[in-house]
Amino acid sequence: MSAIPGFMKGLGYTFKQMFEQKSTYDYPDKPLEMPERFRGIQYLDVDKCIVCLQCERICPTQCIDIQGKPNPAGKGKVLESFDINFEICILCDLCTEVCPTEAILMTNNYELSVYSRDELFKDMKWLSENDTKIRRGDA
Amino acid sequence: MIDWLHQPMTFGTFVWMALFAVLLLVIVLGFVTYVIYFERKVIGWIQLRHGPTQVGPFGLLQTPADVLKLLLKEDIIPKLADKPLFILAPVLAFVPSFTVVAVIPFTDAIGFTDTNVALLIYIALSGITILGILLGGWASNNKYSLLGGMRSAAQMISYEIPLLLSVLGVIVMAGTMNLRGIVEYQQQMGVWFVVPQIIGFLIFLIAANAEMNRSPFDLPEAESELVAGYHTEYSGFRFAIFMLTEYVYMFAMSSLIVVLFLGGWLPPLQWVPGLQFLQAVPGIIWFLLKFVAVVFYWLWLRATMPRFKTELLMKFAWKVLLPVSLLNLVATALIKAMV
Amino acid sequence: MIRTEELTLNVGPQHPSTHGVLRLVVTLDGERITHVEPVVGYLHRGTEKLAEDLNFTQIIPYTDRMDYLAAMLNNYNLVHAVETLMGLEIPERAEYLRVITMELNRVASHLVWFGTYLLDIGALSPFLFAFNERETILNLFNELCGARLTYSYMRVGGVKWDAPEGWLEKVAQFVQRMRQKVDEFHTLVTGNEIFLSRMRGVGKYDAETALAFGLSGVNLRCTGVNYDIRKFKPYSIYDRFDFEVPLSEEGDCYARYMLRLEEIRQSLRIVEQAVAQIPDGPIMAKVPKMLRPPKGEVFTSIEGARGELGCHIVSDGKDRPYRIKFRRPSFVNLQILPKLAVGLSMSDFVAVLGAIDIVLGEVDG
Repeated sequence: MSAIPGFMKGLGYTFKQMFEQKSTYDYPDKPLEMPERFRGIQYLDVDKCIVCLQCERICPTQCIDIQGKPNPAGKGKVLESFDINFEICILCDLCTEVCPTEAILMTNNYELSVYSRDELFKDMKWLSENDTKIRRGDA
Repeated sequence: MIDWLHQPMTFGTFVWMALFAVLLLVIVLGFVTYVIYFERKVIGWIQLRHGPTQVGPFGLLQTPADVLKLLLKEDIIPKLADKPLFILAPVLAFVPSFTVVAVIPFTDAIGFTDTNVALLIYIALSGITILGILLGGWASNNKYSLLGGMRSAAQMISYEIPLLLSVLGVIVMAGTMNLRGIVEYQQQMGVWFVVPQIIGFLIFLIAANAEMNRSPFDLPEAESELVAGYHTEYSGFRFAIFMLTEYVYMFAMSSLIVVLFLGGWLPPLQWVPGLQFLQAVPGIIWFLLKFVAVVFYWLWLRATMPRFKTELLMKFAWKVLLPVSLLNLVATALIKAMV
Repeated sequence: MIRTEELTLNVGPQHPSTHGVLRLVVTLDGERITHVEPVVGYLHRGTEKLAEDLNFTQIIPYTDRMDYLAAMLNNYNLVHAVETLMGLEIPERAEYLRVITMELNRVASHLVWFGTYLLDIGALSPFLFAFNERETILNLFNELCGARLTYSYMRVGGVKWDAPEGWLEKVAQFVQRMRQKVDEFHTLVTGNEIFLSRMRGVGKYDAETALAFGLSGVNLRCTGVNYDIRKFKPYSIYDRFDFEVPLSEEGDCYARYMLRLEEIRQSLRIVEQAVAQIPDGPIMAKVPKMLRPPKGEVFTSIEGARGELGCHIVSDGKDRPYRIKFRRPSFVNLQILPKLAVGLSMSDFVAVLGAIDIVLGEVDG
């Protein structure tokens, strides 16, 4: 039977694979680092925002909600509230692309699991506290 | 222990035999638990991953956790299923698988029976399992189960014939169906039956694989083939019993292969004069080593091979295995007659 | 005569194999199929209708999710159509980066097909081996554009990011490793007689049938029709690369399997040449902030991983399209399934469905 060489070669191959290095990650026991350009959850720098509303307009799923108020100390506007609805945010990164002052940036964090959907409406306070592993560089 | 079988039975020997039988049951159940763990580990390593590691040290408590989960599940019986048959089917499938272990001799002193028709008992009892599977498929009142049960019955019946015929070569050479006698004949011959009966060995391996419904012959349980097989409707402990059947058959088949073809409890390379020290190692260790090798082979095969399709399965059994095993038998008989 | 009944089996929306949510209503006579009716639409998300409200840059993330296994090719499909309509000139380095990412994505998509097809047929391990290789590609893409599956990498006029330091060397190393792995896959799978018996002669069709149903990609080339848009009507810079288009005359599942593995090899050839030839330069052309294509319509098509991926844009001068239509190859290729399935047994049916290589995100859109 010519099958014998055929499937025996296959058996030999799988036997050798037993001694190769394993390719699984030990997540969540060891954290999984993402590269520099990874598009994770956004970070908001409240002072830099000039409420130009570009990010709200460019968002393909309309998940950003901005309320501005006139700046009490000078001209322009400041933020009153800034909500991102993470039920529909697709982390596409267009909002950081259009921001003129780099007020909104992506971080490399991706762990967003929560126990209740209400917690997915992140407000200005949470977004400005999410300040680890911010992606600077050519955003 | 074998000596007790040749004496009249006293109350003492009866109690000891019963205790040893319970011990064997515990060992078989322990084997099943850990062969599942071993299977997942080996298949994981072949697939470049670790297998179970989280539950218990090195993942050793994974299977007990799974078994506990199955025991604690709700026992669902479909409303329109045939209730007595539904309950009977797993029992009918499992009981023969444990009873056939009684005929296997583990060493020349350890064994539960010493009959001259051991092989015949084995084959006859393992046929009852087919009935259990067919009943399970029918009693579930489910199209998928019926198809799966029918396929399984057809497959197991077709492959029983090459199974038995391939072993007849060994019986012709040894002159007895007594399993201990076959191992003693191998000791006399100096070489295990795998060498003169290589064709019989290969056919027996393939047919045993089909009898156990394991990959590449796992058509009845083909998970990705849209028909989930005869145990679709079984959940919880009844499902565990079907799984137990499959793995206890693995135990029984592997021990049978070791006894028939691989020399049972005999050390290897008996004919080489310098290796007499190997005789010092107790027979049970050799049995275990060979047994582990055969079990590893089943797991290795499962990870590598794709599945047969129905027509090819049947054609293979009837058109290839059956004629080849008959030829093997005829050739063995002729050579035995001439020599 | 024994009276037999036909059995109607609902191969439901949830599949054991990873095709997605496809429902097939199968009528069986014993174990032979007499009629199959696919019911699609479980993953329909209204991309084309939503696109009427979005400007072209905003549609790009939506195209990622249509054929999620080959998102670069989908991105390119859209931006190529817009660029053709606007008559833009793309810088060289951007074109080379586009070709490298598109061909790597084709390799990744074919690896997923390989793994899942063998899983359907029953072999458990090649799935893991294929996905191990695909991990390397996804990590490369992660370093390049920040996402593993839904890239949104292309923009109208170029690409978004330039290759980071050392990325091109990693790509070159990957090409060498992948070539070896394709040979190893052949050792593991192609010589195996069980596998061959399940694929040879199954699901055969000829060139006229294929053309009549409008098949494209590997499904068409397995019958001997030499139609690959990269050679027939070269777009981007494909005319600069030296590669072959694998062809076969058989028309069965085995031919499609071999062709896809050959295509992986040819894509690796293209990537190798592109990495060697890539110049320096800008990665984005000068495009206005508000993209306003002129009034008119355009239909362009590219060679996607599954067939001819086309985009038809009707524009009326605004920054949003009036109507956009994607010609999705999986949707068209699925049409041949009812014809091929008649007379097969269930095992062959699974093999045939797998060999057509559909992705439900693309079938439903």
